[in-house]
Amino acid sequence: MRRIAFLFLAAASLLDVALGATRPRYGGTLRVMLQSAPNSLELLADGTPVDYWDAARILAMLADNLVEIDGAGHAQPALALTWQSDLNGKRWQFTLRRGVKFHDGSAASAAAIAQILGERHSDWTVRGAGDSLTIESDSPMSSLLAELALPRNTILKRTANALPVGTGAFRVTDFQSGKLLKLAANEESWAGRPFVDAVEVELGRSQRDQAIALELGKTDLIEVSPQATAANGTQRVRTSLSVELMALVFPANSKAQDVRVREALSFAIDRKPIQSVLLKGAGEPTASILPNWMTGYSRVFPAQANLQRAKVVLTDSRQPALTLSYDPRDPQAQLIAERIALNAREIGITLQVLLSGIADVSLIRIVLPSSDPATSLREAARELGLQQPLIHGSSVDDLYQAERTLLDGHTVIPLFHLPVASAAGARVRNWQPGPTGNWNLSDVWLEADSR
Amino acid sequence: MSFRQKLLLIFALTVFLCVVVISASVWSTMQRSFERANDARADAVAAQFRSEFQRRGDEVVRKVEAAAASESMQRIALEVNRGATDSGGYVSEARNLAGQQHLDFLELVDHQGTILSSAQWQAKFGYPEPAIPSTIGSAGVFLKREELPNGSTLGLFGVRAAGVGEQPLYVIGGERLDQGFLSTLDIPAGTRVLLYQNLDANWNPKSLLDLNGAAAGADKIAPLVEQVRRSGQEARSVIRWTADSADAESFHAMPLTGPNQQLMGVLLVGSSRRPLVELQRQIVSATMLVGGAGILVAVLASLWFAARITRPVVSLAEAARRVAAGDLYAKVYVESSDELGELASAFNRMTEDLLQQSERTLQAERVAAWRELARRLAHELKNPLFPLQVTVENLIRAKERAPEMFEEVFREGTSTLLAEVNNLKTIIGRFSEFARMPQPHRKPTQPNEVVRSVLRVFQAQLKEKNQISARTELESELPVISADPELLHRALSNLIANAIDALPQGGEIIVQTKSFGNRVELSVSDTGSGLTQEECSRLFTPYYTTKQHGTGLGLAIVQSVVSDHGGKISVESTKEKGTTFRMELPREA
Repeated sequence: MRRIAFLFLAAASLLDVALGATRPRYGGTLRVMLQSAPNSLELLADGTPVDYWDAARILAMLADNLVEIDGAGHAQPALALTWQSDLNGKRWQFTLRRGVKFHDGSAASAAAIAQILGERHSDWTVRGAGDSLTIESDSPMSSLLAELALPRNTILKRTANALPVGTGAFRVTDFQSGKLLKLAANEESWAGRPFVDAVEVELGRSQRDQAIALELGKTDLIEVSPQATAANGTQRVRTSLSVELMALVFPANSKAQDVRVREALSFAIDRKPIQSVLLKGAGEPTASILPNWMTGYSRVFPAQANLQRAKVVLTDSRQPALTLSYDPRDPQAQLIAERIALNAREIGITLQVLLSGIADVSLIRIVLPSSDPATSLREAARELGLQQPLIHGSSVDDLYQAERTLLDGHTVIPLFHLPVASAAGARVRNWQPGPTGNWNLSDVWLEADSR
Repeated sequence: MSFRQKLLLIFALTVFLCVVVISASVWSTMQRSFERANDARADAVAAQFRSEFQRRGDEVVRKVEAAAASESMQRIALEVNRGATDSGGYVSEARNLAGQQHLDFLELVDHQGTILSSAQWQAKFGYPEPAIPSTIGSAGVFLKREELPNGSTLGLFGVRAAGVGEQPLYVIGGERLDQGFLSTLDIPAGTRVLLYQNLDANWNPKSLLDLNGAAAGADKIAPLVEQVRRSGQEARSVIRWTADSADAESFHAMPLTGPNQQLMGVLLVGSSRRPLVELQRQIVSATMLVGGAGILVAVLASLWFAARITRPVVSLAEAARRVAAGDLYAKVYVESSDELGELASAFNRMTEDLLQQSERTLQAERVAAWRELARRLAHELKNPLFPLQVTVENLIRAKERAPEMFEEVFREGTSTLLAEVNNLKTIIGRFSEFARMPQPHRKPTQPNEVVRSVLRVFQAQLKEKNQISARTELESELPVISADPELLHRALSNLIANAIDALPQGGEIIVQTKSFGNRVELSVSDTGSGLTQEECSRLFTPYYTTKQHGTGLGLAIVQSVVSDHGGKISVESTKEKGTTFRMELPREA
């Protein structure tokens, strides 16, 4: 399944190249608009998925990881060219690319990279010598490559004023907190100089502003909601695979202590109308944490509403009045929460929708950051407040069992897997966004007459 | 209570009752008038609200009609008729239309009654709208309970169909019937409107709204709302918020029903009773003032009138008291010619008659007394004179007929003459003593001592008469009185001497003393043959005696002594059982 999805997206990208590209051209400034308005260029611990994607895309322009994971979940070389591990996965050795330099001119040596990674992971022992980097741990690190490909493991240093200094295709020339970020092409990038001379990122712009600006030709690349599939001649919308999960989460102190109430609610929610109407067809109704493209077994978890069964489950159980909170920063969340409350009312469960705050159940949206399912499952478990899954092997069955165990208590009710989408203006050429939401702007060039 | 006071009281009570009756009548009439006025006012306010309610309903209907006729609604109706089943494109349409028409609620509902789009609860698409079957074709407005994400509320709704295609598309729009709706109503000053949203099976105080939200004091209004909820009919009640009746409000509760006549709410039009109560109070104050003044004037008039009426009566009473005291010269001067005047004249005639009769009686008594005195003197003097005459005739006869015996007769005769002359001197001395009765010289005197002293004097005489015994019953704590002990001694001696004389065949004499109040009583009883009633009534008349050789002055002297001491003497006698004389003397003069 993963392979099919990846091939589909790759074909779409090639088609785009074939249609749009004539001959690459150097120069120009790529204008980008983002919703988030960060005060620092780093991943926020309590940010929204939008914050995550924006930070990840910025960091991807500025820095590289040791490896990258493609849409099929396979590791691809980046700063590290080759790698190998011992049999139990506790010791990994990487051979690094030679001659790579940070934007400040210092060498991205094994020692420097070892220092950066060692500071981030206290449970790792990281050593660098020559071209070789060794990572050791007391426990097996079967998903180390996927972990190293995550945005949080981007290899970068910080200047005195906390600006990132990486090895990526662009370097920071100006950062106005929450407003503007200016990048210039890194002439000494190991992957080759990018086509555009600079990237100008306007921060804190709403999706509506971004759409208008793109329509008026005042920007080149924007974020759009997955529902906004319309595209005219001057726009191209690219939608990723499902890389986000929307779910209901019951905190430990929820009044819904009776598992029957939680289970009944999971049966009462009619996901299809929400997906077709409120999400305007975007995303996939789901009852699993990981999307089907990632695991292939998602549909084993029944996502269809079953009111009869919900009422049977609720028989003889006490039905407390519950509160349901949602993230007000999520534009679809309120309507979805209200719809869920309506569904719950049909089986006699009262859900009072709250704007935010402590509630008996929360509607949240989390990022599935890696195309590696085990890594995404661990990250999802962490975000959802579940225990870390015990994945005993690398087979799909092991993954399924781990996920099934996580969902058994119904403290999490998965609702939808959602993609992320972006749109580019007409003058943007050779834009090949990755299937998991990354933008890959180093290969983009601009039409000369568009400005 | 005097006649004047009684008269005054009757007058005052009569006037007071009149004032009270008139005030009560005025109060009752005023109360009924006020209640009618208040009811009329509440009816007017209720009618005004109904008119306002209808106006707002018409406004809602116009807005719904405008929404149904809008271009976007026509487009949606067309798409639905062409078979579009996806609600996704319409989710925001209802909200947009509601915003354009300034409606709180608006739903687009297909011909099957399924919500395509909801402004008030956007997530409600795909759910059935229960109001559709019963309200289709409704030309006016209707009340409907509207479910919202965070509860339910009441709304004033209208429904119209978008007239495109065979399958109608309905627009149900409305306005929230809550405090916001109430605040837009044009209601008269001094009144207020409350709304009870009948959303729960039982009374819920939070559902009672005023302009500011949940109404305060809901519990006091609960019975009225419950009455409407039970009966479904209009009801009225006066709600007292505090002890001050001016804070009360008259409420007119009207049921608000839905399309199927189910009770959706209760509208309460309240009007303050303060203006009426204050007017009532003013009238009551004025009535009380006038009534009080009337009563005061009535009392004063009663005083004057009673005084005028009772003045002759008082004069008459005073004159009667004087007459009773012996003043037969008392006169009543009454100028009126009414019954009181006649009474006064009769009284005056009566006193004149009494005076004349008294003078005649006195004169007769004087004559009788003189006659009695003359008879007594003649009797007393005749007894010694007869022996004197006989002795002198014996002396003359002896001188003439037996000179030898003359000497012996002369000695015997002179002896007799001397004895009789002494007897005459004694008689004259007693009369002289009665005439010279001295005034008492008072000093603290113990009556028991006087009794003992007198008995000591008579001790020898009693011993001579063995058949008479004397016994005393003297109160041991008898108080000292202010009296002349010599005169008291003389009076008591007379009584004991009389008792001895009353016991020729022997018997018992009992002397008692006792006190009661501020008086002391000394009594002398004998067990003699007693006296007749007639004798008792004449005992104290001077010179009256029942004895052969009495002067009739003993008891007169006793009465004189007792009278001079401010006391009185009385006698009780039973034939063949004995007689008791009682002297009552005051402790102080």
